[in-house]
Amino acid sequence: MKLRISAALTAALFALMLSACGSGPQPPAKKLIAVITPSNDNPFFKAEAETATTRARELGYEVTVNSHDDDAHKQDQLIDVAIANRAAAIILDNAGADASVAAVSKAKAAGIPSFLIDREINSNGIAVSQIVSNNYQGATLAAQEFLRLMGEKGDYVELVGRESDTNAGIRTRGFHDVLDKYDGLKLVSRQSANWSQSEAFQKVETIIQGNRNIKGIIAGNDTMALGAVAALKNAGLESVIVVGFDGSPDAIASIKSGGIKATVLQPAATIARLAVDQAHKFLTTGSTGAPEKQSIDCELVTPANAGQFGLFGRK
Amino acid sequence: MILDYLFRLRALIVLAVLVITFTALSPAFLTAGNLTILVKHVAINAILAVGMTFVILSGGIDLSVGSIAGLSGIIAGGLIHSGLVLHPLGVIVYFHTWLVVAIALAAGAAVGAANGLLISQLRVAPFIATLGSMYVARGAALLTSNGATFPNLSGSPELGNTGFLLLGSGTYLGIPLPIWLMLAIAAAGVFVAVRTPFGRRIYAVGGNEKAAELSGVRVARIKFWAYVISGACAALVGLVIAAQLGAAHPATGETFELNAIAAVVLGGTSLMGGRGSVGGTIIGAFVIGVLADGLILLGVSEFWQIVIKGLVIVLAVILDQMQQRYALRAAAALRR
Amino acid sequence: MKEPEFIIEARNVSRQYPGTLALDGVSFALRPGTVTALIGENGAGKSTLVRILAGIERPTSGSLVLDGETMTLNSVRDADVRGIGIIHQELNLCPNLSVAENIFLAREITVRGVVDKRRQLQQARELLARLEHPIDPSALAGDLPLGQQQIVEIAKALSRNVRVLMMDEPTSALSASEIAILFRIIGDLKSRGVAIVYISHRLEELLEIADSVSVLRDGRMVAEAAACEVDTNWIVEKMTGRPAGQAQAPEARDTGNQILRLDSLSLNAAGGRPLLRGVSFDVRAGEVVGIYGLMGAGRTELLECIMGLHPEAAGSVYLESRPLDGMDTPGRIAAGLAMVPEDRQASGIIQSMTVRANMTLSSLGRYVRTAWLSLAAEDRAASAMSTELRIKCPGLRYSIASLSGGNQQKVVMAKCLLTNPRVLLLDEPTRGVDVGAKREIHAIVRRLAASGMGVILASSELDEIRATAGRIVVMSRGAVTAILPAAEATAEALVVAASPSAGERRDAA
Repeated sequence: MKLRISAALTAALFALMLSACGSGPQPPAKKLIAVITPSNDNPFFKAEAETATTRARELGYEVTVNSHDDDAHKQDQLIDVAIANRAAAIILDNAGADASVAAVSKAKAAGIPSFLIDREINSNGIAVSQIVSNNYQGATLAAQEFLRLMGEKGDYVELVGRESDTNAGIRTRGFHDVLDKYDGLKLVSRQSANWSQSEAFQKVETIIQGNRNIKGIIAGNDTMALGAVAALKNAGLESVIVVGFDGSPDAIASIKSGGIKATVLQPAATIARLAVDQAHKFLTTGSTGAPEKQSIDCELVTPANAGQFGLFGRK
Repeated sequence: MILDYLFRLRALIVLAVLVITFTALSPAFLTAGNLTILVKHVAINAILAVGMTFVILSGGIDLSVGSIAGLSGIIAGGLIHSGLVLHPLGVIVYFHTWLVVAIALAAGAAVGAANGLLISQLRVAPFIATLGSMYVARGAALLTSNGATFPNLSGSPELGNTGFLLLGSGTYLGIPLPIWLMLAIAAAGVFVAVRTPFGRRIYAVGGNEKAAELSGVRVARIKFWAYVISGACAALVGLVIAAQLGAAHPATGETFELNAIAAVVLGGTSLMGGRGSVGGTIIGAFVIGVLADGLILLGVSEFWQIVIKGLVIVLAVILDQMQQRYALRAAAALRR
Repeated sequence: MKEPEFIIEARNVSRQYPGTLALDGVSFALRPGTVTALIGENGAGKSTLVRILAGIERPTSGSLVLDGETMTLNSVRDADVRGIGIIHQELNLCPNLSVAENIFLAREITVRGVVDKRRQLQQARELLARLEHPIDPSALAGDLPLGQQQIVEIAKALSRNVRVLMMDEPTSALSASEIAILFRIIGDLKSRGVAIVYISHRLEELLEIADSVSVLRDGRMVAEAAACEVDTNWIVEKMTGRPAGQAQAPEARDTGNQILRLDSLSLNAAGGRPLLRGVSFDVRAGEVVGIYGLMGAGRTELLECIMGLHPEAAGSVYLESRPLDGMDTPGRIAAGLAMVPEDRQASGIIQSMTVRANMTLSSLGRYVRTAWLSLAAEDRAASAMSTELRIKCPGLRYSIASLSGGNQQKVVMAKCLLTNPRVLLLDEPTRGVDVGAKREIHAIVRRLAASGMGVILASSELDEIRATAGRIVVMSRGAVTAILPAAEATAEALVVAASPSAGERRDAA
């Protein structure tokens, strides 16, 4: 008896939900832009989200901001939510070059244009725009500055980001395409610190035990570079050259106070703003007027020019 | 009989094998400098694991320690870096460094207390209760700093809040403070477990809750304090990490709980509760630490490091099972 | 070929448990179409014997013979295939499944691998109708009252076309009318040639239904007779090993002042079923009060209430005139109560700890010097108690698991005594303990009382109660049905007062 009642209740609920879906929420008075980024505890992604939000509001849109924590499944759910909310456009920093193709296709099928920022997907013609900072160019830029600071010789250490991450691979390739040509440079240790400051701190502490005379450390991002600087300072090895990647505010502050020697700034703010502008243009004129794949160059930050940079962009 | 001793010393034997292997393979391994760094790295996990040992001995589990470490770091970082803003008054209050440390420890203990109340009073399963507080504490850390890092925690003399960094980088008699902290916590942990009624009652609660209650043990109270201890230990770890880096990051401590649980299990403490020791846990933390640092010195890739760590944990647990079966057989033999 | 005389036989079967010999060379045979009553005190080996016949346990030595052929039963499934069924004392239904699903559990009626629910429901309905209990076969088993669950258990066994059916106290949860139906079903099964083993504490009931009677005592088969040749006196005599009516009471001794008083303790089960109904009596210093009753009479619940394990219980407990209302278990232990629980493994000892740690667990506060435990003080207390109770163990630092059942039980007693209790509660203190240790424990109990302690000893063994108690409280169905001085407590009087019908009579009154 109980069973039958609960079955009937469930059926009724389903019917209710289906009918609700049928009529659907009314489209908002203002058009909605959904901004989806990897996380909210990283200043880089925060800058992305905040810039996109500000720009979209300026242009008269409603904005929702969510993060997928680099989880393709969660990203998929967030895309579903955007479709259900009848978003006009999606600004997405995606959760994996291959894993995100299906989600973006789904948005396209629902008639919602996607504008990808920071990371590409391995498919063309699904997103309207894919605007990324040129990680490879940035990595070669960082490597060239590192090379100059090292005087083209000496032992060095490389800290790699999370090795399953596309950008970690591109950056290390960029570093080595420059550095491997010089016989005087010797890579004595290469470890992943998973983008993390405390992990970089511990790993550098251990690495310098085995390699007392290292001259430089090149890191796949600024957080790891800052961890390296803290470890070196503790060990009294302040003279070791540390170069990072990203151009985070903390890294720029560190450059100003003599910690990190250089970093390359990814124009996250510029990219996010550009993506919103193109979305607006696409929604009003039907075309962005730009090719799908766009690559924005990174800029080198050194003690000489550190004062000119703000939150992932020039002041 | 010899087999019995070998089983009992299994964690130490694994540790010895690792030390000998790394010494043979890397000249830098067995040096004073490296050992100091190594023990300092072990200290982080060991302090967490001592607190975790009490929880596991009582028959529970604490998944929230990593998040508590992140939260306590952020609280300390925020108080030193930007002070406490009292909105209605428009006043910013800066606290003395000791008070900052005390507040952060109290916050960790408070999360532990919340775990304890959920588990002992509301009878929520430990796994679920601490899984929940793991998320809540992490979220609280992110909210407190709005996702940002609090950099430069050296403080300023005018505000009277300098000296925080000493917690991470200071030394006494040439030995880094984190190591002293670990020694103190480990000694206190062993003492509490072996030489106090509280410690004995934790073993009783984990061994047989019903029998403990009928023997006059206030089970709920014992469990509550186990989680408070674990929370306070986790908060201390958060402070040490923030002090070492000179910066507090809200994502600090992710997956720390797994390392702590691994150390406890490697040390021979049963996940079913009631069996194990704080001393074993310290050895377990050393096994994990030696393995991690040794493999880095050898330049082994991250992926292999993960695989090897997993294999060592499984091996240790197999040995543990063998030892328990052996002990049961030995007990049965005595009965005849 | 001549039909074998017996369907199933156990020949010279023994079963050794750690610390005890539960069955000692027992031979037992069942004829088709007869009901054999299996009788014995708790711990005599009845359950072990039927468990062996049902394939749940394997004998340490001896053999089983089915239809004249020696065989081994390796599992319940093995027995099931051979037409041997058992209805357990504790119900074995899955509360989350329907009645029909329970009846056909593990033998579902299937069509091409899919359960045929309709046929299962229909067959279940027919079975239940045969039992004169039209229980809805689609109802959840957990929603049924206990009596109906018992009927479902019986239906489950019947659905298997059994040739041998063992019933371990099948009527403990049934009302008089339900019992009448059960007896009709048994008669029906008999006429179809099924051999039935029937275990019950209700002696009148046994004599009504059984064709023959077999009595077990301390793991041995001590008597077998045709049911028409014996009476309850004979049964009690064989069960206890001494002539009925001749109580071997401990010598009368002066008892002191009242130290414990119970004032109308009542307790209901979660479903509202009463477990204790207005229990009142008192205990004097130097007195052993025995509590006798059958399974389910409320002995354990009573002791648990006294210890404060059921805060929801009504009524009051006074220790030396001081009310203990609202006090939790640790508080009551501190006030001077201590209890040796019924189930040693589940709530008496802590397997993972040493002998010493088990002994001192309740009295840890006594060994604290400044802020820490003095291991030396702890050791002294534990060794003294170990000598006093003559605990045989390889050493106090060894695991308690290395002790025999009797010595483990003494450790639990030592734990209680180290708190210096005013009143000691013992719940089935010699269950699963060998005969030697049993006598020693009885001697300890008498000695403690002689030293001025009040003791409550609950037991379902007549022998034990009469060997220790100076006054006997008899319980049935949660109520006190008699309070007898040892001198008047003949075995027969106790058995009569303890019978469930006595509890029912008291209900009516």
